[in-house]
Amino acid sequence: MTDPRDDELNILLPIEAKPRLDHLHRKVEAAAGMRLSRREALGLGGMALLGLSLAAAGCGTSTTGGDAAAAASPAATSTLAGQPMESKLQIYNWVEYDPKSVYTGFMNLPDPKAADLKISETYFSSNDEMLAKLHAGATGYDIIVPSQNAVAQLIFEKMLMALDMALLPNLKNLQPSFRKTNYDPTGQYSVVKAYGITGFFYDTTIITEQPKTLMDFYQLLNKYVSKGRTNLMDGPEEVPVLALLALGINQNTTDPADYAKARELLMSVRKGVTTIDSSSSTTDGIAGKIMLGQGWNGDMRRIVEAQPDITAVIPEGLSEIWADNWCIPADAPHPVAAHAWINYMLEPEVAYDEMMYHQYPEPNTPALAKLPAEMRDDPLFNVPPAATEKWDYTLNVSPAVVQMRTKVFTEFKAAGG
Amino acid sequence: MKKAVKVEPEPRTAAPARRGRSFKPRYPAWLVMPSLVYIIIFFLGAMAILVAFSLATQVGFGQISFGVSFANYREVLDPLYLSIFARTMVMAFLGAALTCAVGYPVAYWMARYLTTYKMLALLLIMVPFWTSFLIRTYALKIILDPGGYLATYAGIDIMYTKYAVGVGLVYNYLPLFILPVFATLERMDWTLVEAANDLGAPPLRAFRQITLPLTLPGVVTGALLVLIPMTGEYIIPNILGGGKFEFVGNLIGDQFNAAQNQPFGSALAISLMVVLSALVAIYIIFAGKEERFGA
Repeated sequence: MTDPRDDELNILLPIEAKPRLDHLHRKVEAAAGMRLSRREALGLGGMALLGLSLAAAGCGTSTTGGDAAAAASPAATSTLAGQPMESKLQIYNWVEYDPKSVYTGFMNLPDPKAADLKISETYFSSNDEMLAKLHAGATGYDIIVPSQNAVAQLIFEKMLMALDMALLPNLKNLQPSFRKTNYDPTGQYSVVKAYGITGFFYDTTIITEQPKTLMDFYQLLNKYVSKGRTNLMDGPEEVPVLALLALGINQNTTDPADYAKARELLMSVRKGVTTIDSSSSTTDGIAGKIMLGQGWNGDMRRIVEAQPDITAVIPEGLSEIWADNWCIPADAPHPVAAHAWINYMLEPEVAYDEMMYHQYPEPNTPALAKLPAEMRDDPLFNVPPAATEKWDYTLNVSPAVVQMRTKVFTEFKAAGG
Repeated sequence: MKKAVKVEPEPRTAAPARRGRSFKPRYPAWLVMPSLVYIIIFFLGAMAILVAFSLATQVGFGQISFGVSFANYREVLDPLYLSIFARTMVMAFLGAALTCAVGYPVAYWMARYLTTYKMLALLLIMVPFWTSFLIRTYALKIILDPGGYLATYAGIDIMYTKYAVGVGLVYNYLPLFILPVFATLERMDWTLVEAANDLGAPPLRAFRQITLPLTLPGVVTGALLVLIPMTGEYIIPNILGGGKFEFVGNLIGDQFNAAQNQPFGSALAISLMVVLSALVAIYIIFAGKEERFGA
């Protein structure tokens, strides 16, 4: 064992304070997610953390991992079946992701109506923002809508509730290939809400080549940048990732040599990039301001509709697929209502309304069959499964990998004039 | 001849000797407690957390092991990050200099030549400042857009370049500079300039030897007031630079959000604060000397 004195603490305090300090020690350990000696735990840093977590949680449970484990004990048997519906549902969602009709539709279902259920919703604009908020100790959410990498991370941190399949009979409507994913291998914690792919688009009146792969896209940047605006999708989870994929490397690689290759490719096209933006790139694309850019399939559909000269490409070779998911936080105060919500979203009529509203495919077999032909047969909407067979979801593999991505991204940006 | 036009500064009236407190404070000191508590919790507390974070180590996503490690600060010294610091400082200095160049003549004109409409002019300078920073920057985007007025009619297409970032910096911070400079110009004793003119000083010389030295404190205050927020700028490089101009602010944002590396992000933030504090310290020493030798 370690030196016993490591666990000894010499502070001038009355002996009565010891249980309190022991409590502090446990708290700090739980918050840090690792064993600490008392000296470490009760050091100045620990105190600061404790002050923070106490303030955030109102002297409640620590929220940075640790304690959530107890709440997230996977329910092998159904524990929620037969429980009464709660009267509240708190949703934390992307902005404008669901049509009004599904909220009223849900509240008018027999059970929520009987419980006089009220929905309240708050919004986030990126996974990072949502994760930051949850890690800072925000609680009270029943439904969150993380993308794949955030799901994997939240599962790892034991911050998601294992779903009670008995309350989700409509899961039968989901396409089988979406039931289990590389970020939720057991399919226990997440239900795919909508999915999409990253491709690119270009103005055919300016660009005469017919780029087919992501590599083709990068090679056109330097040549055409003087003719108009070029755009890359923003963020460390896009810029280096798409460069890796263009090189034919799986984007979840942990090998630093691969990131060096991605950096090399990116630096060689640095002069060919006008903007790095994914927040206003869709609006600008619709306005015809982008001549060559990367984009997500649903946004590219809208751009192509508005700009007849623009062609959108689902890349041959590798690109990325992504998915937003319905998940329930481990400490959700209204789990029955949350399950009912997810189950309702899997109704073919509801999934159909959702798709018509947000214009992204939901992997719901009967709903897809109901779609008008121009959506069902449009590869930009109903992406053919064969195209994405070899594609992977981009995951936050480890802090080291994310740091490598961020560094390549920072170097790429800092190389500008 | 030269000696004849040399204008000697007005001899100062001897400052009254500092007196001790000759009266008892009328209100008990504990009345300041609410403000003090606020400052301790939300100002010093936040700073303490930032310092504690910067000395900690990232052990997982959003998970931190507290301790005393300077590894994050060593990482800040990476040439990549130093180059971003340097770029940010250069851009902020240029921005502040440009702001002086644009703001000083306006403040001078307002203080010297306007009488009836002086306050109206001041109001017009301030009104845009009451609009959200973000909205003003987006408005600038419309003017600077490659399909916008400036590009179409004047042929100036600088959107998504460092020049656009510069324009954005000057535009957004201009009122912060004009205000203190206007105040010093207002308080200035213009009879000194008249006296200089009477004694034969040409206008430019009178400006250089009278007006400029007397308004310099206001200029330096205004320049610092715009320089410091410029170094922390985040939105302007993102919107007007097309997201490809990395300021330290963007770097810190990426570390906190995308990389979820709060310790390193905090170390970057503290480093920026240290650099800025050093600048302010230099200014105070410089200003203090001026005073001692009697400008």
